[in-house]
Amino acid sequence: MRTFEYKAPETIDEAVSLLKEAGGSARPLAGGTDLVVQMKERATRFPYPATIVSLDRVSELRGVDFSETDGLRIGAGATMTDVATHPAVRERYAALAEGAGVVGSLQTMNMATIGGNVCNAAPSADTVPPLLVYDAKAVIVGPNGRRTLPIAEFFRGPGETALESDELLAELRLPVPATGTGAAYQRNTPRKQMDIAVVGVAVALTLSGDAIEHARVALGAVAPTPLRAMSAEAALQGQPASEETFAKAAEAAAQDSTPITDIRASADYRRHLVKVMTARLLAEAANRAKGTA
Amino acid sequence: MAQETKVRESTGTDANGHTAVGQRVTRLDGAAKVTGKTVYADDMKMPGMLHTSVLYAPHAHARIKSLDTAKARAVPGVHAVITAADLPDYNRKDSNRTGLIFPDKEVLFFGQPVAAVLSEDPHVAAEAVELIEAEFEPLPAVLDAVAAMEKDSPLVRDPLHDVDRSEERGHVSVETKETEQEGEPSNIASSAPFERGDVAAGFAEADIVIERTWRSAMVHQSYIEPHATIADYDISGELSVWTSTQAPFYIRDELAQAFGIPENRIRITATEVGGGFGGKIYLTELMVAALAIAVKRPVKYIMSRKDDMLAATPAPFAHIELKTGMKRDGTLTALQARLIYDSGAFPGAPMLPGCMLIGGYYRCDNIDIKGYEVLTNKVSVGALRAPGAHNATFAIESHMDIMAKELGLDPLEMRLKNAVAEGDLMPNGQTYPAIGLRECLEAIADSDVWRRRREVEATPNRGIGLAVGGWLGGLQPASAIVCLNPDGTLNVTVGSADITGTNTSFQQITAEVLNVPLDMVNVETGDTKTAPYAGMSAGSKTVYTVGRAVKAAAEDLKQQMFELAMKRLEVEPEDMEVANCQVQVKGAPDRAMTFKRFGKLSTNFGAPFPVIVGRGSIAARKTAPGFTAQAADVEVDPDTGDVTLHGYAIAQDAGFAINPLSVEGQMQGGASQGIGIALWEEMRYDEDGRLLNPNLLDYRLPTSRDLPPIETIIVEVPSEEGPFGARIVGEPSIVAGPAAIGNAIDSAVGARQHEVPITPERLLRSMGKL
Repeated sequence: MRTFEYKAPETIDEAVSLLKEAGGSARPLAGGTDLVVQMKERATRFPYPATIVSLDRVSELRGVDFSETDGLRIGAGATMTDVATHPAVRERYAALAEGAGVVGSLQTMNMATIGGNVCNAAPSADTVPPLLVYDAKAVIVGPNGRRTLPIAEFFRGPGETALESDELLAELRLPVPATGTGAAYQRNTPRKQMDIAVVGVAVALTLSGDAIEHARVALGAVAPTPLRAMSAEAALQGQPASEETFAKAAEAAAQDSTPITDIRASADYRRHLVKVMTARLLAEAANRAKGTA
Repeated sequence: MAQETKVRESTGTDANGHTAVGQRVTRLDGAAKVTGKTVYADDMKMPGMLHTSVLYAPHAHARIKSLDTAKARAVPGVHAVITAADLPDYNRKDSNRTGLIFPDKEVLFFGQPVAAVLSEDPHVAAEAVELIEAEFEPLPAVLDAVAAMEKDSPLVRDPLHDVDRSEERGHVSVETKETEQEGEPSNIASSAPFERGDVAAGFAEADIVIERTWRSAMVHQSYIEPHATIADYDISGELSVWTSTQAPFYIRDELAQAFGIPENRIRITATEVGGGFGGKIYLTELMVAALAIAVKRPVKYIMSRKDDMLAATPAPFAHIELKTGMKRDGTLTALQARLIYDSGAFPGAPMLPGCMLIGGYYRCDNIDIKGYEVLTNKVSVGALRAPGAHNATFAIESHMDIMAKELGLDPLEMRLKNAVAEGDLMPNGQTYPAIGLRECLEAIADSDVWRRRREVEATPNRGIGLAVGGWLGGLQPASAIVCLNPDGTLNVTVGSADITGTNTSFQQITAEVLNVPLDMVNVETGDTKTAPYAGMSAGSKTVYTVGRAVKAAAEDLKQQMFELAMKRLEVEPEDMEVANCQVQVKGAPDRAMTFKRFGKLSTNFGAPFPVIVGRGSIAARKTAPGFTAQAADVEVDPDTGDVTLHGYAIAQDAGFAINPLSVEGQMQGGASQGIGIALWEEMRYDEDGRLLNPNLLDYRLPTSRDLPPIETIIVEVPSEEGPFGARIVGEPSIVAGPAAIGNAIDSAVGARQHEVPITPERLLRSMGKL
């Protein structure tokens, strides 16, 4: 690792002004489970940072809160363990608990933050498909104040986000899921742990009786960014929650995906997995929806 | 390395009257390891020590046009930049991986070391190495071992000469008609034929003939601790090396030859080995010693994980064509095989043991086996636990299953019918000594995994597979010393690196011979200036050979005490015995001299006895091959291709398990590696010969959650020469995994796997679902 300056501000405003001062040569450091490894291996997608702005002491970035009126607020600095073990997340946002609960090892989960997972913008990020199906919004702070962006608009490409170099992701906000909603996230990996998604699929279904009132399908690791499978969602909307519907939607999800062939899997295999996993997860989400109805 | 000896009591006496051997004993080095106290090479610091960062070749095959180190040298904190031109004189042997430090004309594999930067600050060294301006002219890279055999293939390198095969011989002793590359230049480094009978007649006799091709990926030993070496050369001409190695004396001998330094002026200290599996014999020591000689300061080189995956000595890819014939009654009538091992850019592929095993499990009158060691522009290979064995075993053990299925025979009964036993021929015409292959098959039949076979196979997508494995083992002379201390305790000194708990077994052997509690005995591995000679800890031979020397040394010490006691006890040695830490007269235990008294009488001022030092020294001439039978219980997800292991069982012949706890650990560890090779592990290269996955994320080892509980069954068919009947233990366990899992998958979903690792994607394709 090369030498760099290390700053440890205590507030979001201080952190933002340090980023602004550095004029693009600084990187914020959260859990470090991506950034530090990338720096050690000289594999950053950005110029090697001259300054590291640690967010460790910024307590405003912490915390996970839920209320029936405002929904879920997750500080960008909340760790994967904070998210995966939070009672409200487990009960109301099961797909997110599942996504946060599979990142790396237990040690990784204790260090890695949800903000880091989102801002690293890997196509395979496990928390992102769940955030997409819950219609999360990203709250961004910069020198000119706060702005809010639907999470789907946050990603621009592998490692690329809507953040300016002097902006920070402060928190994520998720609305309260409607009554009768069931959701789930699963990823496929060659190993049962310590791995990176070959394909990640999150789905959310809101049922009214047997009819699908509202549907979300989001995919990871099958496009330059995590994405919503719009034609799969359209195939579900208003349809009966049946195996036939799910099969059609799964086929559509595979069509929505644009995977590449890389060291982890071929494009064919990824597309095949999208279909298999989407069908399975829709059935699981429907079961969960019925359980909550 | 200083080790703590914990007080430990024997758990009892076994049926043979043993009190120390045969007991389940925790390791001498266990407490230090689990509490983080063990000192590894990377923990060591020397005054004035420099850190090394190496420039690795960025091409699989290229001419070095220029190396400009000016910018790297200019970095503040850089002590030296060393290229081939700056090295001290050494006996360079270009055809050997460990005979060539840095090339000066041509690089032969992606990751080959080309130059080194030395600095007191490792980060400075790493930064400066990127500033070396190296110009290369790419040459055609030969990457496919099978295509490389063709006459019109481009050559990987200049023709070979003076190939040194001493390292390979440490892992296995095979007598054969191997021929080195000769005649027209070609990429075939060596080949060997093994023939018996008439295969054409054998196939004519057969009711079925199966002919298939089997491929197994290049894999890495993936020890937790990457290669780590420190060297120091002082002005008096003494060379000292502290290194994570299985083979301190071998390194001493090689460095003595390389630099023309007498062997008594070289001190090699084998530091604690954080995993070796055959990969830590001799690799970085020559370069680090040369750097230390060049700069006259201690030099440390610690490979990163990436360095180690690029530039160590992984295990070869193999392409194996096999044709077998069998009669309806299950008699194997002919076996014809062509085994191609990809050696990488230097010779050293374990083709011979592959040939010996593919035709070595089953009796067959007609065999025709040809092995080829083929060069390619990839990193050259080394040993990995039973080198070459899993590749060949995957082929023959898959064939046995296919033939059993086609003929409607029980796969276990059919194997039992053909399995070799004492007196049967090996492919090279030698005969087997007492071995336990059949006993292992009988034992696995009794495992929980095999006994639930019917029930499991009635479950959709579940299946049970069986395979055998084995290893012939290495041989090398060995020695040991046992010293009696004034308080009656004993110090054992050996020269073998302890990579698997062998020192704990030596403690047991000594305690058994002298009939003392274990905590009376300490065992240390000395360095090459202080320890008596031992061969490399490889070829599963350490307990089998050094253990015999330890036993002889303890017996020698006992005999010396008996003879010294004659006057005082007034009986002949035949009438004495050791018990309760004393020498006593048989039948009259009150007529005795304590070990403590011997200790004092042989060390105090004016004491009458000479110092009591037991010496053991042995030649090892007879191998004691170790066999195993293994069964896997798998479930296949027919839509994703994911494989889940529900159970795994291993039966292995240990001859006599001196420490059953340690033997079971070896069995489980090796089985886990075999499972890893079957399902995940693969070094993948791109079309330009660049390694795509030099990290432990994309080179996947199984984690605790991927492995099932592993049931162990120790079989004991005594060896002729081993201590208390012990035979080789360390290696056989890895051998059967790929075949056992391939067979289980076929049983689960009816899809035969011809290539390992069996990734979900390959599996789905074989099922026609992708």
